[in-house]
Amino acid sequence: MPETAAIDLAWSTAADVAATVAAGSSTAENVVEATFARIRRRNPLLNAFTAIIEERALARARALDEAGARHEGLPPLAGVPFAVKNLFDIAGLTTLAGAKISRDAPPARGDATIIRRLEAAGAILVGALNMGEYAYDFTGENVHYGPSHNPHDLERMTGGSSGGSAAAVAGGLVPLALGSDTNGSIRVPASLCGIFGLKPTYGRLSRARTFPFVASLDHVGPLARNTRDLALAYDAMQGYDAEDPVCGQRPTEPVAPLLDRGSEGLRLAVAGGYFRTGAFPEAQTALARVAAALRVTDEIEIPEAKRARAAAYVITAAEGGTLHLGRLRTRGRDFDPAVRDRLIAGAMIPAAHVAKAQKFRRWYREQVLALFAKVDAVLAPATPCPAPLIGQQTFVLDGVELSVRANLGIYTQPISFIGLPVAAVPVPLAPLPIGVQIIAAPWREDVALRIAHALEKLGVVRANKPSVKGGK
Amino acid sequence: MKRRSKTRRKARSQPRPAGRGKSRGKPDAIDALVMASAQALALPVDPAWHSGIRFNLQLVLTLAARIDEFALPDEAEPAPVFHA
Repeated sequence: MPETAAIDLAWSTAADVAATVAAGSSTAENVVEATFARIRRRNPLLNAFTAIIEERALARARALDEAGARHEGLPPLAGVPFAVKNLFDIAGLTTLAGAKISRDAPPARGDATIIRRLEAAGAILVGALNMGEYAYDFTGENVHYGPSHNPHDLERMTGGSSGGSAAAVAGGLVPLALGSDTNGSIRVPASLCGIFGLKPTYGRLSRARTFPFVASLDHVGPLARNTRDLALAYDAMQGYDAEDPVCGQRPTEPVAPLLDRGSEGLRLAVAGGYFRTGAFPEAQTALARVAAALRVTDEIEIPEAKRARAAAYVITAAEGGTLHLGRLRTRGRDFDPAVRDRLIAGAMIPAAHVAKAQKFRRWYREQVLALFAKVDAVLAPATPCPAPLIGQQTFVLDGVELSVRANLGIYTQPISFIGLPVAAVPVPLAPLPIGVQIIAAPWREDVALRIAHALEKLGVVRANKPSVKGGK
Repeated sequence: MKRRSKTRRKARSQPRPAGRGKSRGKPDAIDALVMASAQALALPVDPAWHSGIRFNLQLVLTLAARIDEFALPDEAEPAPVFHA
C-alpha cells in the first residue's frame, strides 16, 4: 500500500474506514497492511501492543474483500482494525492479563464473545494490548512488559489498567480498542490519553472469556477517537450471552441511530460535593467547559460518594485477593510487588468489612437511582489531574499527599460501584488533555452517548492528534 | 472548585486505625493481623513484603472503618452481585 494511504488512515475514524472499504476506495487488506506498518513504526515508542496477529487479520481482510468483489453487502464495521486488552481471550494466544505468571497458561481455545461480535460486524482483530497486571492498576505501568506510554507525552502515564488500549487509539495505531473497567480502567486511560471511552451498564456487554478481576464490578467496553465509533462498536457488541452469568437478558438497543438527537430535552447537572474536591485546576477547567457548552447550571450531590469509593476499594481488594490467593501462595515472587502487596492485604480483610460494604452498596444504589428522577445525566471529572509522569508515586489532592496508583480513580470508583453507564469524553487542553464523565441511569447508554456526540458537534470535546516521534 | 490547602499532609498515605498506636520496632494490631492471616491462609509472606502488605492493609482498614461507622438496619440487603 502506498505510504500516503497509510498516513491518511492513521487518524481516520472507524466509520470512515468502513465507508472507504464499502465504497471500494480501499481494500480491507490495504487497511490492515497499513495498520501493521504503523504498529511496527510506532509501537516501539508507545509499548501498546503485546502481540500482533497478522496471518489471521489478513485472512479475514481478504475474505471481506472477496465478499465485496461479489457485491455482497458488507457489514457496518467492514475492514475496521481493532485490538484488545490482553485479558480478552484470543484463540491460539495465551491470555496474559498483564501477568508474568500467565505466560505458563495454555493458549485460549476461542475468542471472547465481544471479539466474535465485532468480527461478525466486519471489524478485524489485529492484536493484543498491554495492561496493568491483573487489571489492579490505574497507571498503565507494568513491571513485566514495561509501561505503555502516553502519545501526548511519552514520559507520561497512559493511565490504566487499559493503558495499551488507550495508547493504541490515541497514538493512531488503531481506531478502536477494547478495554475493561472495574473501578475506572477504561475511563482513567481515556482521560489521560485524550480519547473517548464507554463503560456500559454492569451486565450490558458479555465478559465471557475475559480474565476476571472483581466479578461484581467488572465491565468491558470500547475506546475510540469519537462518539460515533464508540456507538457503532457498542451496538455490534450488545446482546445476551448465556456464557456470562451477569449478562442482562435485554434486547439490543442500538444507539448509533440516536446520536443526532443530541442533548435536547435532557436534564443535566454537575456532580457537587465529593466530586468538587481534590481536582487539579485542569480537571475543573475541563468540567466547566463542558458544563458551559451544555448550559448546565444545576448542581446535584451524589450522596455518600466518598463512602461509596471506600466501599468499592474494600470490595475490590477482598475479591481480588480471593481470586489470586492460590497464585499468591505458590507464585508470590512472580507478581509485580506493588500488585502482590495489595492483593495479599485484600485477602486479609476481615469478612465483616466486606459484608458491610456490600450492604452499603445496595443502600447507595437506591439513593443514587432516586436522583435520576430529577436528572437524565450527571457530569463529573474523570480523573483528578492530567497524565502524571511514568514512575510518579504520589500527588497532592486537597493538600494531602496520596498514592497515584490508588487514587487516580477517585471520581470513577463511586460510579462503577453501582454499575452506571458512563461516557468519558476528552477536553483537549494544552499541553495535556483530560476527560469528563457523562453519567447516565442504568441501561441509558444512549443518553450518555447523545450528550458526548452533542459536545463533539459543539467543538468542546475532541481527540487531538498527538505528534508522536517516529511517525505521523 | 479549589484545592483546599497548600499544606501537604500525609494523613491518608500513612493511615492509622483509631486507638492503635504503633511504636517503632513493636508489632501492633496490623502487624499481628498480617502475621496471623498469613498463617491462617497458609500464605507464605517473605519478611521483605511485610511493610508493603502492612501499608495496604492499614489503608484498606481505614477505608473500611468509614463504612463500618455508617448505620444500616439489620434488614439491609447486601449486593454481592449487582444488577442494575
